Formats: sequence, C-alpha cells, structure tokens
Amino acid sequence: MSEIRTLIVDDSSVMRKIVERSLRQAGLDPLLVFEAASGTEGLALLTTMEVDLIVSDINMPSMDGLEFVRQLRAQNLAPGVPVVMITTESSEEHVRQAILAGAQGYIRKPFTAEQVKERVLPLLTAA
Amino acid sequence: MLLNGVRKAAIATAKNSGKNEREHSMAISLRESVLLVSDPRNLDASVEEVFQTMLGVGCRRCSEPLVQEQESVTAVVGFGGLLSGACLFKSSGSVAIKIAGHMTGMVFSEIDDTVKDGIGELCNMLAGAWKGKVPELSANCGLSIPAVITGRDFKLHLQAPEFQLNHVYRFEDSSFAVIIVCDGLQ
Repeated sequence: MSEIRTLIVDDSSVMRKIVERSLRQAGLDPLLVFEAASGTEGLALLTTMEVDLIVSDINMPSMDGLEFVRQLRAQNLAPGVPVVMITTESSEEHVRQAILAGAQGYIRKPFTAEQVKERVLPLLTAA
Repeated sequence: MLLNGVRKAAIATAKNSGKNEREHSMAISLRESVLLVSDPRNLDASVEEVFQTMLGVGCRRCSEPLVQEQESVTAVVGFGGLLSGACLFKSSGSVAIKIAGHMTGMVFSEIDDTVKDGIGELCNMLAGAWKGKVPELSANCGLSIPAVITGRDFKLHLQAPEFQLNHVYRFEDSSFAVIIVCDGLQ
C-alpha cells in the first residue's frame, strides 16, 4: 500500500502531534505527515508537493483555517484532495462555514481515534 | 493580569464567524438562560470529557484547594460575542508537565514551549467544550487564541463579573483549577 501523504495545518505543535497519532490509530498506515503552523505555510507547501489528505485547524492567527481552505480552492491547489477541519468550534454555523469554504469533513475537539476513522476514511475511499 | 487582549481577539473571532450585521442584530439573548450558562455541571462535564478523550485519564471535581508550587502555569482563552469573559486553566508547573506528557506521549523535564503549547490547547478545548454545552453560546460566542502565563506572584483581578465558576479537579494524584469568568452577557 502506498503512503497516505497528509498535510496537518495547526498553529499548535502539540495538536499536530495528537492529530498525527489519531490518524495512525484510525488505521491510516503507512502515513507520511507534513506539518504547517499556519494557513500561509500550508499554501506555500502545497505549491511544491502533492498530498492525499489535508487536516486543518480553524482558529489560527494570521490566516485562519477557513481562509486557508478558501484560498486553497481559489488557487486550485490540491484539486480533489479532501480537507477535514478539526476544531473546538462546533455549532451548525461553523460547520456550514467550513463546508462553504470547501471542506468535506468536520471533527470537533476533543475527539477520539474512532471519530477520526469514521470521518476521514470514507473521504479517502471516495477520493 | 488583564484580559482585554484575549477578549478583543475573541470578539473579532465571533464577528468573523460568518454572521452578517443583520443576523447579529437579531434578538438572540443569553440573559434568560443565565442559569443554564452558569450551571456548574456543564463545566464538570466538559473537563471530564476533555481529560478522558484527549489524555485518556479520568478526573473528578474535588473540594480541596489547589496545591500551590513556586512555579505555576496559567492558560487563558477569551470569550467574545453574546458572552464576554474568559476560561482559565491553572496548575502547578509539575502538573502542567504531567498533563503535557499525557497529551503528547513525550517526557518533559521542564516547562518548555511544547508544555506551554499543550496547556494552551487544553484550555482551548475546555473553553470550546464548555460553550458547546449551550447551543446559543456555541453559535454566538467566539474563542481567542490561547495565551499562557508562567511564573508566580500574580493575581487575577476581576471587576463585578456576572458570574464566576472556580472548580478544582483531581486526576491521578494531581490537581488543577478551571475558572470560567463571565463579565458580560447579552
């Protein structure tokens, strides 16, 4: 099986590690992780490489996750690659905003590996 | 310690959450549900949920005061929108190190940037889980980026808050405090 190339965008290095661990526990293996500490850094990385999955926080300084996904789609970077938002914001309005921006999945913190599996694996299969 | 910076950031987040001015001006109010918002059980359930899910440890509210050490770690996440105020997490340095270890699976010997980052994220999840217990709050209250303070000999001064929850919790042999301060409710 080929590596699942995954970009994790979060301003917290601890959350990036937790998300990576959860993806592995969810059965995404082998997994090759790239990390970005902001939306700006994430966009820059995507101009130089291809990924199979993008997981992004929403509430980040400088460029938040919603703007990151909007620009990702507007610039046609990573076309067809599923984007999953992982965030503390859980209202229907926030989910709607994420979907409108171009995300396919939404996971609320705190989350379990089982929830990550339920939300992420179907997207990878569909893609 | 002043909370104005984190509060301003949270208000900006709430304003940017996609609602237009007309929607903002609609008569959404938390005044009538202040008892629900300030229900201490919501905070207890949020803390237990976050610790069980993200750290894999159970924790329970306790009646003993917080154990003080020379070095303490305090994280602050501001609320803005229908409710203004802040969520604070406070523990001794050794407990912060232990929590960061549970979160990351790493071993820390001092309060480094990763420990501070972990405690900030923990406070962010506590704030998000707490406001998520009340649907109106979940949809109409933003969170600021966490701020983390280390050191000692500082005091939090509050002027006539609407309500305040100050709970001490225990997990394994360690304790920490979670404080919700509401100084404005629309």
